[in-house]
Amino acid sequence: MSAPATRAHLPRSRRRRPMRTLAKHAAAIVASAFALFPLLYVLSAALNPTGTLTGSNELFKSVGLDSFTRLVTSDQYPFLTWFKNSLIIGLTTAALSVFLGALAAYAFSRMRFVGRRPGLLGLVLVQMFPQLLAVVAIFILLTEIGEIFPAIGLNTHAGLISVYLGAALGVNTYLMYGFFNTVPKELDEAAMIDGAGHARVFFTIILRLVTPILAVVALLSFIATFNDFVIASVVLIDADQQTLAVGLYRMVSNPNYADWSAFAAGAVLAAIPVVALFLFLQRYIVGGLTAGAVK
Amino acid sequence: MTKTKKSIAAGAMLVTAGMLLSACSGGSTEPTSSATATDTGSETTATLTVWVDAERADSLADAATAYEDETGVAVEIVSRDNATIKDDYMQQASTGSGPDIVMGAHDWLGELTTNGVVAPLELGDSADGYLSVALDAAAYDGTVYMLPYAVENLAMLRNADLVAEPATSFDDMIAKGTAAGAEFPFVVEQGVDGNPYHLYPFQTAFGAPVFGRDANGAYDATQLTLGDGGDFAAWLSAQGAAGTISTEITGDIAKEKFLAGDAAFWLTGPWNVTAAVEGGINLAVDAIPSPGSEDAQPFAGVKGFFVNQYSENKVAANDFLVNYIGTTDVQVALFESSSVLPALTEAAQAVSDDAIVAGFLAAGEQAVPMPAIPAMGQVWQYWGIAEAEILNGADATATWDKLTADVQAAIDAQ
Amino acid sequence: MEHTRSLTALGRSGRIGPLIVKLLMLGVLDSVLVFLALILIGRGDWGILVIVTAAGLAINWVYLSKRALPAKYITPGLVFLAIFQVFVIGYTVYIAFTNYSTGHILNKDQAIESLLSQSQSRVADSHQYPVTVVRDGDAFGFLVTAEDGTAYLGFADQPLAPVDATFEDGTAVAAEGVQSLQYADILANQEAIFDLAVPAGDSAEDGWLRTLDGRSAYEYESSREYDAVADTMTDTTTGVVYTDGGDGAFVAPDGTRILPGWQINVGLDNFERAITEPTIRGPLMYVLVWTFAFAFLSVLLTFALGVALALLLNDPRMRGRKVYRLVMVLPYAFPAFLGALVWSGMFSTSFGFINQVLLGGAAVPWLTDPTMAKIAVLLVNLWLGFPYMFLVATGALQAIPDDILEAARTDGATPWGIFRHVKLPLLMVSMAPILISSFAFNFNNFNVIYLVTGGGPRDTAASIPVGFTDILISLVYKVAFTGQMRDYGLASAFSIIIFVVVAAISIVSFRKTKTLEEMN
Repeated sequence: MSAPATRAHLPRSRRRRPMRTLAKHAAAIVASAFALFPLLYVLSAALNPTGTLTGSNELFKSVGLDSFTRLVTSDQYPFLTWFKNSLIIGLTTAALSVFLGALAAYAFSRMRFVGRRPGLLGLVLVQMFPQLLAVVAIFILLTEIGEIFPAIGLNTHAGLISVYLGAALGVNTYLMYGFFNTVPKELDEAAMIDGAGHARVFFTIILRLVTPILAVVALLSFIATFNDFVIASVVLIDADQQTLAVGLYRMVSNPNYADWSAFAAGAVLAAIPVVALFLFLQRYIVGGLTAGAVK
Repeated sequence: MTKTKKSIAAGAMLVTAGMLLSACSGGSTEPTSSATATDTGSETTATLTVWVDAERADSLADAATAYEDETGVAVEIVSRDNATIKDDYMQQASTGSGPDIVMGAHDWLGELTTNGVVAPLELGDSADGYLSVALDAAAYDGTVYMLPYAVENLAMLRNADLVAEPATSFDDMIAKGTAAGAEFPFVVEQGVDGNPYHLYPFQTAFGAPVFGRDANGAYDATQLTLGDGGDFAAWLSAQGAAGTISTEITGDIAKEKFLAGDAAFWLTGPWNVTAAVEGGINLAVDAIPSPGSEDAQPFAGVKGFFVNQYSENKVAANDFLVNYIGTTDVQVALFESSSVLPALTEAAQAVSDDAIVAGFLAAGEQAVPMPAIPAMGQVWQYWGIAEAEILNGADATATWDKLTADVQAAIDAQ
Repeated sequence: MEHTRSLTALGRSGRIGPLIVKLLMLGVLDSVLVFLALILIGRGDWGILVIVTAAGLAINWVYLSKRALPAKYITPGLVFLAIFQVFVIGYTVYIAFTNYSTGHILNKDQAIESLLSQSQSRVADSHQYPVTVVRDGDAFGFLVTAEDGTAYLGFADQPLAPVDATFEDGTAVAAEGVQSLQYADILANQEAIFDLAVPAGDSAEDGWLRTLDGRSAYEYESSREYDAVADTMTDTTTGVVYTDGGDGAFVAPDGTRILPGWQINVGLDNFERAITEPTIRGPLMYVLVWTFAFAFLSVLLTFALGVALALLLNDPRMRGRKVYRLVMVLPYAFPAFLGALVWSGMFSTSFGFINQVLLGGAAVPWLTDPTMAKIAVLLVNLWLGFPYMFLVATGALQAIPDDILEAARTDGATPWGIFRHVKLPLLMVSMAPILISSFAFNFNNFNVIYLVTGGGPRDTAASIPVGFTDILISLVYKVAFTGQMRDYGLASAFSIIIFVVVAAISIVSFRKTKTLEEMN
């Protein structure tokens, strides 16, 4: 049941072929260059306080941490508050989205009921609707809700999280559903025969077997929430309530006064939680759990 | 492995608890927000909610505090995203959740009045104290709706280490810049879609404004004078061929070239002054040299404040704007914290001992307000593209004629 | 098996706990719902009340009933979906049947209020009167200081008349029998004072005094009059009578409309306009073909690259794969618009990195040539989208049991054969829906087009501002939101039409994936 045991029956028979390894690394390096290159401009802009974003190909000609210190210590921007808000909202949304999505995926994968397939399809279709007026509609809705329940109205984190949870069921549910289908039914059937209820099967058996996809969905949901500014900027009004994305976008929304170095520095700092979360979740995504547990 | 599972579960529970906590704390802090404060009992002092551009929020914060100390009216400055502030305001103004005051540019007026979300202001006898371009821009159909607080216009920035003297004409500028050995004698922000705002001074130098004016001096949508720009188009075509103006030069590239000392002259606005000075450039600011027979008139953008027609605090809002923001001391203070040229004549003069400010003032003497009439919206759609095409070698006369025809057709279709 | 056995033991002892938790949660929910219902009754929102009650009863039934097992799992997410997503769709549909657009964003009462407010102006060259707002019982009035320094007092129903007053610095500040208001009192009664109009004389022609700021009053005149009985707006300077033309604005006999107007229901007008709109119909075929190509190629490219990298980095023997994986996720960790802007700078013909450094000074017209611009947009979209596919594919790959792969290898299958016949089909089980929704997303991917090319290069032969990389949704923006015009009604009708098209394509595609699913 532990990781080494899983690895044990990976094919070790074939020997490594140096040419093949080299080719693989070459491919990975080319892809890395493609992925990283535009980000070097961002990093360069972050380190060059008076610089532009794309004015010059001479990257890193002036390097300093001015933008970072300006951002973090500035009285003008409650940067650390924004950061905290983003973390709270991002992590909460990610955790709850995974939870709500997994519940639904379990039902769709394990139970047979009328409207199952149309229901699945409907979840995905709902999210295809062009979001042209979403911002106006959400503003109106949260204004109304806020009149009755101020705690989840405009300008509250809980309100924003609720809006994000509206998208918890959707394509991610389908993704989990597909993955749930790969977990053999015999496992939960055996447990049921032993007297475990459906809830127990879900929480203690299924959830642990589908960890990779839960981790992926959590990461996707966190990134989407962390970087969203369209909805967050309408819902969160006071500076102290706002998220990092909202705060940062405002710095560059007027092209004439766009502070690209501060924005880029902020974007670099904002990438840290995403990277950290990925590093933390990576072992769950590719931990080889499924194979081991199914055995 | 079970251990890590538990830690995930525990983490998820913590997060959930965090959400509940944040919901609760959100609830308890709610009563401080403006919506609840303004509509409660008569003893409560008013709270004004003011939406402002992100980059002005800080300079206004001090003014807001000072006003509160003076009158007891709390002023809550809400910094909004520039890209969406106007549409958000239109959508929210009449819902009761909108702000009492919104900061914007004078060219919003056509939309604001058409939508009926802005209340007229009365500047009273203080009107005479504003720069005429600011006052001109603050009115729409003869009614004043905006309290002007800053005027922005283009001017010619010069690297005084490269060229010691101001240019007397456009050709003189190119000659001086070339003689100084700069890689670019002159740069101006363009881009693949052109940038008519930055070329407008040159267009007016050939006597071709976009719209004519009616008897009251207001822009008249029925008089499209854009078509008089044949000479300008020919000149633009020649500049494109000579490479003095290029669609390849984006704002970023122009800035880099000037800051690196590779460009002698840079046609830009006050927003780039800080970067140039901090970049170590020996900066001089001149009026815009004309390539034609008339003065080069840049557009003036006038920044100001509008009162929401559906505000419940209109008295406080008017008082804050007319009797507080519209005073010399406050406008000078706003200038000092954000470097925008004040709209009050006295305040503008008070800050003009600064050579750079004086340069922008001088360039601004010729400035005309950007038209706020709805027809202007149709012009923007075609104007820059046509100019970009001419710069890139399209037939000047034919392209300009098509531009005029397309704009006229779009205006007629509205 | 070890697990299941230990679970069973737990299962028997722990039955009662979950039940209590469930009942507690339902109790909390129900009390919130009752509270909500009481408020709704108080406000008279009967429609919403019916929906809330029905939903509340349904939720209780779901969790108390022994049946409805699937619903127990789906309901929590469905509640959020119903409130937030379905509301947005419902709102869009509602707007599609209205004339909500620039000049028609208010309701009729607001529009009338605004029209009257705009028509009030200070009498030219009239005096600026210092004013002290006073109160007599419930009535507010003005104590003003005239040009000659004498004081006048008046109320809404009592024209200005000379009065003996106490002066301070030449300004009348108090008068017998009335209470002078402090500024705080003025603020507390702002709306009444702002609306207060004190007649300047006995005749209506004399005009009236108003104060906007509570400190100065001005003589006002109005150029419009509203007749509530006839529902007409009269321009008092020209005498023209404007009537409610039925299309959300007051209209003169000669057809001149005055704005602001108000929102009305326009039935199917917006849909009719959307279908007949000439600025859309002209370039429609061209734009539609490119929209499909863009969406399809975007999905194909991101999927291919994402899956290829996921496979490459899923090899446990590959060194440094954790670092590589992190690198692949990085584009996704940065705001998309930052990446798009950098790319658009890198595409600059004379100064961009791609031409200047990568291609050694070539002059490829990346953003100005119709074909190259399309390639550029696809390239940027690939960069923006492949990390998503990479992540999803990496997760999905974990579902493929090693023994199947091993069996294939023992059978002598080539790596390509394993991929083609084993891994890809299994991947498609969980990824096919992702591909379909990714197609739908890119079909409406306004942002990437807007940020990279703005739809350009412009088709200069056309008389409307359409470009060669414009997709359907960006064309809709250009048509519905031109210049200062924001036609939300038309835009909503377009959204619905586009949604129907995309949904139809998706439904057909999903039918196909059913076969994939059953392979499992």
